[in-house]
Amino acid sequence: MSNKVAIIASNGGLFDAYKVFNIATAAAASEKEVAIFFTFEGLNLIHKQGMQALEMPVGKEHFAEGFAKAQVPPIPQLVEMAQELGVKFIACQMTMDVMGLTTADFVEGIEVGGAVTFLEYAKDASPTLTF
Amino acid sequence: MNITKTLDAKGFACPMPIVRTKKAMDSIESGEVLEVLVTDKGALNDFTAWSAASGHTILEQKEEVGVLYFYIQKA
Repeated sequence: MSNKVAIIASNGGLFDAYKVFNIATAAAASEKEVAIFFTFEGLNLIHKQGMQALEMPVGKEHFAEGFAKAQVPPIPQLVEMAQELGVKFIACQMTMDVMGLTTADFVEGIEVGGAVTFLEYAKDASPTLTF
Repeated sequence: MNITKTLDAKGFACPMPIVRTKKAMDSIESGEVLEVLVTDKGALNDFTAWSAASGHTILEQKEEVGVLYFYIQKA
């Protein structure tokens, strides 16, 4: 049985962030080894400024109240928690180049890699999830 | 039952009860018991699954006035 969970984060909204980091922290808290590959809009989720102001889907803004009521932590806090639990963040080099971003634009402690880096990690992971 | 530590995770939504429980388990020794209080209904199934994944044992669980109590012994 695999003890690795591999996640691809390729979307950059607030809901996407919760989907990614909730599963990642839950897996890490269950003694799994977890890595997230952030690509395209997904890079937004670990971008120093971007992650502070992730957008709700259009027309869903009223859920803000529900998030507060359920005491759902803000994304930067979940990111910190994920890293504390040992979740590995891999930022996609190609997307960073396209968007003109460097490691300095992201939270501390990320790795930068290409598709093969992720594929090599994910080859014996179960499950592999895409968001 | 000898309770070493109590974690109050009432009011928190998934995955915080599990994440906080994991952290609290890290702070106690093997064989010691953690008491966890949760109101998240998903915790009923989550804690069972989590104990299977983490190897810790749920000695007892109960529900009292909307609060779930778990007594977990560290592996």
